[in-house]
Amino acid sequence: MDSAPSNKRFAADLELTFPLLSDFQKKVSEQYGILDQAKGLAVRTTYVVDKQGVVQHVQQGSEAIDPSGAKLVCSRLSKQ
Amino acid sequence: MVWRVRTCLVLALLALGMTVQASGADLISKVKVGDQAPDFTLPDQNNKPVKLSEFRGKKNVVLAFYVLAFTAG
Repeated sequence: MDSAPSNKRFAADLELTFPLLSDFQKKVSEQYGILDQAKGLAVRTTYVVDKQGVVQHVQQGSEAIDPSGAKLVCSRLSKQ
Repeated sequence: MVWRVRTCLVLALLALGMTVQASGADLISKVKVGDQAPDFTLPDQNNKPVKLSEFRGKKNVVLAFYVLAFTAG
């Protein structure tokens, strides 16, 4: 489903400037604890991780659609 | 919908092309604010491996676990 060629086409279509990673085996979703085991699907989630590798922000579900929370945290981190 | 976060590198992760909604009240993430983000390596759209820890000391990172079509659904 999320093959590299498929992701490549998708990224080109949207002119994405960031890496699009494929968690096809759901291992990272499981590692982060966001895999809905009953449905076998990941919950939409956004994390902001600082340069030390520490999580500074987490949003899930419909709140994760709006990037303003992540943008605010990134802006704050860039000033440090 | 495409959004840019200029001050952070964005890594969009697509888990089987689909995600489900969760209400704000039932955050299910094992990883919380203040935790060290678990490291991982996944292939990008060019099949090049990307390791989260390679950005340590260099860039802040946004990890977006998202629906393949980036829809609001």
